[in-house]
Amino acid sequence: MVLVVLAAGFMLILLGLYGALIHRNILHMIVSFSVADTGVNLVLIAVGYMPGRTAPILDSNVSVADAVERIIDPVPQALVLTAIVIGVGVTALMLAYAYRLYQTKGTLDISKFTELKW
Amino acid sequence: MQQFEWIQIPYSLLTLFIVLNFGLLLNALMAKIAARVGRRRGIPIYQNYIDLIKNYGLRTSITHGIMFYLGPVFRLAGGVGLLLFVPTLYGSEMFSNLSFAGDLILALYFVFFGALGMALGAGESGHPHAAIGVSRGLSQMTMAELPFALAVFSVALQYDTLTISEIVKAQQGSLFHWTLFTNPLAVAAAMLSFLGSMMRPPFDVVLAPQEIPIGPPTEYHSSYLALMQTNRMIFPIAKIVIIMNLFFGGATNWPIFFAKVFLIYLFAVFVGVVFPRFRVEQSIRWFLIWAVPLGVLAIVLV
Amino acid sequence: MVSPLFIIAAPLGTAFFISLFSKEKQRLAFLITLAAMLLMSLVSLHWVFTYLTSGPVDYYTAGTLPPFSINFRMALPEACLILLINLTGLFSTLFLKNSLLRMGRLSMAVLLIDIMSLSGIVLTRDVFNLFVFLELMAISTGGLVLLSEDNRAPAAGLKYLIVSQLVTILLLIGIIFAYHATGTLNIDGLTVASLTHSTGGKLAFFLILIAVIAEVKPFPANGWALDIYESAHPSFSVIFSVASSSAVLFATAKILSIAGPEWLPIASNVGIITFLAANLFALSQTNDRRLLGYSSLGQSGLVLAIIGQQDILGDHYLYVAGGILLAHAVAKAGLFWMSGIIKGRELTDWTTIQGHPFLIFSFATFIALLIGLPPFPAFYAKWELIHSLAGAGRFPLLAMILLGTLLEVGYLFRWFGIILKRKPDGPGVLQKKRHRKRMVIAATTAVGWGMGYLWGTLSPLGHLFHATPLLFALSFLLLDWLPARIKNSLAIAGLVGYFALQYAGYNPMQLIFASVILIGGAVILLAGFDNTGRRIGFYPATVLMFAGLIQLIEARTSFDFFAAWEILTVGSYYLILRGKQSEPHALSYILFSLGGAFLILTGFSLAAQGGYQIELQMLGTVPQSVAPWVFLFLALGFMTKTAAIGLHIWLPGAHAEAETDVSPMVSGILLKAGLYGLMLLLMTMGKQQLYGVELTHMLLWIGALSALLGNLLAIFQEDAKRLLAYSSIGQMGYALFGLALMNHLGWLMAMMFVINHYIYKSMLFLSIGGVARRTGTKEMYRMGGLLKLMPLSFIAVLIGIIAVSGVPPLSGFGGRWIFYNAIMTSEYRLPIAVLFLAGPIAFLYLFRLIHTIFLGQLKDEHRRIQEAPFWLIVPQMIFVALLMGVALVPGVALRRVDHYIGQFFPNEGGGLNWSGMTISSDFGYWNPVAIMVVVGVMFATLLAWLLFVNRQAQVVKQFNIVYAAERPYRPETTHFAWNFYAPYRKALGFLTQPLVTRFWQTVTDLLHAASDLFRRIYTGNGQVYAIHLLAFVVMVYLYSKGL
Repeated sequence: MVLVVLAAGFMLILLGLYGALIHRNILHMIVSFSVADTGVNLVLIAVGYMPGRTAPILDSNVSVADAVERIIDPVPQALVLTAIVIGVGVTALMLAYAYRLYQTKGTLDISKFTELKW
Repeated sequence: MQQFEWIQIPYSLLTLFIVLNFGLLLNALMAKIAARVGRRRGIPIYQNYIDLIKNYGLRTSITHGIMFYLGPVFRLAGGVGLLLFVPTLYGSEMFSNLSFAGDLILALYFVFFGALGMALGAGESGHPHAAIGVSRGLSQMTMAELPFALAVFSVALQYDTLTISEIVKAQQGSLFHWTLFTNPLAVAAAMLSFLGSMMRPPFDVVLAPQEIPIGPPTEYHSSYLALMQTNRMIFPIAKIVIIMNLFFGGATNWPIFFAKVFLIYLFAVFVGVVFPRFRVEQSIRWFLIWAVPLGVLAIVLV
Repeated sequence: MVSPLFIIAAPLGTAFFISLFSKEKQRLAFLITLAAMLLMSLVSLHWVFTYLTSGPVDYYTAGTLPPFSINFRMALPEACLILLINLTGLFSTLFLKNSLLRMGRLSMAVLLIDIMSLSGIVLTRDVFNLFVFLELMAISTGGLVLLSEDNRAPAAGLKYLIVSQLVTILLLIGIIFAYHATGTLNIDGLTVASLTHSTGGKLAFFLILIAVIAEVKPFPANGWALDIYESAHPSFSVIFSVASSSAVLFATAKILSIAGPEWLPIASNVGIITFLAANLFALSQTNDRRLLGYSSLGQSGLVLAIIGQQDILGDHYLYVAGGILLAHAVAKAGLFWMSGIIKGRELTDWTTIQGHPFLIFSFATFIALLIGLPPFPAFYAKWELIHSLAGAGRFPLLAMILLGTLLEVGYLFRWFGIILKRKPDGPGVLQKKRHRKRMVIAATTAVGWGMGYLWGTLSPLGHLFHATPLLFALSFLLLDWLPARIKNSLAIAGLVGYFALQYAGYNPMQLIFASVILIGGAVILLAGFDNTGRRIGFYPATVLMFAGLIQLIEARTSFDFFAAWEILTVGSYYLILRGKQSEPHALSYILFSLGGAFLILTGFSLAAQGGYQIELQMLGTVPQSVAPWVFLFLALGFMTKTAAIGLHIWLPGAHAEAETDVSPMVSGILLKAGLYGLMLLLMTMGKQQLYGVELTHMLLWIGALSALLGNLLAIFQEDAKRLLAYSSIGQMGYALFGLALMNHLGWLMAMMFVINHYIYKSMLFLSIGGVARRTGTKEMYRMGGLLKLMPLSFIAVLIGIIAVSGVPPLSGFGGRWIFYNAIMTSEYRLPIAVLFLAGPIAFLYLFRLIHTIFLGQLKDEHRRIQEAPFWLIVPQMIFVALLMGVALVPGVALRRVDHYIGQFFPNEGGGLNWSGMTISSDFGYWNPVAIMVVVGVMFATLLAWLLFVNRQAQVVKQFNIVYAAERPYRPETTHFAWNFYAPYRKALGFLTQPLVTRFWQTVTDLLHAASDLFRRIYTGNGQVYAIHLLAFVVMVYLYSKGL
């Protein structure tokens, strides 16, 4: 199960990268990156997952004493949460950029924005 | 090396007197020989005396300025100096002249003193022919002097000294002690170079004496010209004295001196009457191709 | 003690707070932002002082220890970087005032967040936390790019975001696998857990490392950064270049500390390739900000390479890396800010700062900081870096660093030349008086100098600011408002005074050089009284050059020597650049000089054998395995200054185009620096063989060929000053030849040349300069017949050429006489033949010089000109007297030197006998006084005779000459001057083909062509940049597999 998730994560990453590199439309690229980000998050979770354990929430089911034995490691999950938040931020910023760029040139083709070069 | 004594001044003047008279006669003789080769009669043997006296006597003089005025003075001072900085007769206290002032190097570099002064004087005359003559003369001289300098250095290395009297001393004793036989390459280089400095064909395009007046002395006349003519009597002999001392065993008395100078001079005349004139770039190439390698060999092999 | 957490909390809180303001209160928001920045800067300053003495301190968060919490570490490097980041933030805020107000309070918040995230990157010891701060940096950078009014900026920002997405992916995957392998994300924890010992751990580490390195903008994955530099607001570029780069470089160093030294080569190689490529590509830039961007990339690469050298730098690591990093930071900040007050983005638009001495001074300071010229931090840092590299045998890296720096010298100094020398297109388009912005630039300049002082204090080798001559020179910067004559008097007094104080301590050889430099310099400076007005910039440069020269003579260690060498190079460069047409020549001068300096640096670093300097006297004790190489590098370096053939092409233009009184300084005095170096080298190291080749034999040939070709080229010049310049090449060839003879008299001859060449070349340059000033041209054929109008100049030239040519009775003959005696014992004969050829050729150009200017036909337009200005004549007449003096009694100067040299040749006699009037050697003799008297008496007698027989001579008019069939009336057609030695050109012209010039031209052309070709990989397309990054990662990965 973990391996499947892991493989799916990497597949998504590669798919996202592939999409980001072949699509010239900036919006398509942004979507591709989101896909890749999702893949990364899947990988994070898959690597951090420990089979047979419960969520890292200390409640009536899990006492503080046996927490180390029973819950999975909370750090990867914290990482994923943070990564998702940051990913949203970056995606938002990229969309804002796409908007600005569309305003200046009336196109979203990234190959048209090459005045700056060499 | 000796120290200065006052008596050397009259002695030197005596040398000068002898050489001047010898030069006047020798130059006329050479002119006569050259004329005879061309089946002409040539000038009388005393012609140079007449020319000199006439030119010193001429009163119509103009000048183009101070350097113009000084040019001939430089020229003659150069000739006289060259003569007097070199001992004329080997072993003679009387005719060692002012050689206490310096050695062979002094003589070598003093050659340029007159040439430079003359060129400056000619330059101030403002005549383009004078400037062209200087340009040609200097161009040719730089290359013509090179084999000579190499030969001199070769000789200096051979005898391990720069003092002229030491070099002559080493050649005494036998004909085969002469540098001519001990270092023939150097002598060959020097003699070819000698041709270039004698203002005779094939290297006489600088003065071009047969044509309309051109060359550095174009504007010079009367007493200026007289001074330069005086130099022309002394300078070749002074130069030959160096060659004689370095390569042909020097001279211990006046008769041998006269004979050797005559023969060395004759070599230049002989070549001159046989060959036509070179242009400047031709003579530069000629020296570079024929004389310089000899000189280089001379210093490498010595 | 303020907790480091403050530096995160304060900007975060302020940013949050000001975003709550209403839109109308922009000004208040700005003031609060500024106050926050100021406060943070002060706090960081406080930390710098606190941690100056104490070791690193860790701060923990969340009440627990890592790995369950994040910790910050604070130590001196962190404190310094935080200070740098916050000061950058503070000044940028000031500079950005208008843009921030226009964009509103939220942009201020973003700026604060950016600074905060950069501080976080520096402080954090947790990898994931690092990721968070890096992402914050990316987002805030993305926001700040939009501050620019340039409508291309958004595209650049988007490219950056694309790249940062890729970086994010790499980093996150690396982090999770690193965590999986070790169970911790703490950097120190990862080190303890030996992350890189397992295969998976290695890969994880690689991903983290490469992600962080990608933020350093390595070649080729850095096109996006260039686009940002080109289009962003310059003040944001400052943050981007200075603060961001420093922070991510520090992060890279932290990440590298997890693994062992076997990972360092990745940093070294990526860094050095970036350094080289960026500097190469910068060569063909015409856009100022993009050029600065390339330069920034290069400098980051260099620091990255230095991070890779921490295994050999040891204790000096921070000093070296910090020196380069901070120097770059200050310089780049200053330059970007300067670009902010200049409208127009072409390099030529910077000509508008002409007439603003302070801005020019700032610019000069900044490029000196970047290149690492003394007295700035990068100078000390590079010195130690190169020595460490040489000590560890990392020669390819050493060579590439120096090569890259030389490229950098090329484009930066070309730019400087453009700024000073090109004519501005229109009226100044400098932004109106913006005191705020100029204050920022002034403060940056001051910080640069302050850091120079600081690095000097920290340097174990010596403090350049403690050298009196340098301080004296720098004081002229402050006195530049004074009138030129007062400064001139001060400079002369300084030179003479210093000589009076110091001369007792010099050995005879030093004494000769010191007299030429100080007393000789003072004599030439007399000509400076001719200048009225203020002559801005002249005196600092001049005195700087003299300071360098005298420190060179006094130097005892290789460090002092090299510092002095660079100081004199810089001083003379500014001096040469002052000439009218001197832009290209000054550039080639500085390129050859600094190229030579780098060779010298290499030589010294080899000689130091892993140490940081070597006593000059100990050069002889260098082990035989490296000694020939040391000799080779040092000799080549010194020969760039003596303009030996092959390395000479800078000289003619530099000397010919310089100002009237500068030419004699750079020719008569400056060239002697190279001779001094060579002399020192030969004295200490003696003969060396490399692969069986006797190196002094090579020098002999180089000397002979320089003499020949220098002289030969001189005779074909139409420009009088160029003629003299080529003649200098020939003269230096003679001197080099004398030194390379490696015998007593050869060295004595070289010393004689030092004196003689100084006197006559200075004199000739002054006279010709005076003539050129009066006639308004340097072309000789345009002159003629000036003898009557400028008699004193004529006398100086006449005496000069007699002396140069070596004709008795003047002093040049002494040199020739010693020369002949010296070669009598030489074992090499062939080079002597070449030198013999060179000798008489000197007559050609000398005669031409005097003839075409002073003799011949006077031109109509010159009939009313006057003698050269009084103050130009005064030194010339002093030189005439000196020449006569040296001609009559050479023993005064040379006797002691002769004795001194004797100690280096104990086994040969070889010296001269100075007893009495006659000077004698083993081979011949020479009596200068007698020669003078004999010649004088003869000349006077004959003159008297001529005056007697020719007393009625009358002066005739100009055209009263013998002429057949036509009457000359035009001086232009009668003055034979142009192409004076036409026959010579026909015969030997093939020797004067400009092969060397062509060679160097080809080298520069190739560099430019390569630069222009390869920079095209930066197509401007964001997807291509993404591919660059992926390709970069793959390449580095393959490389790391090979490790």
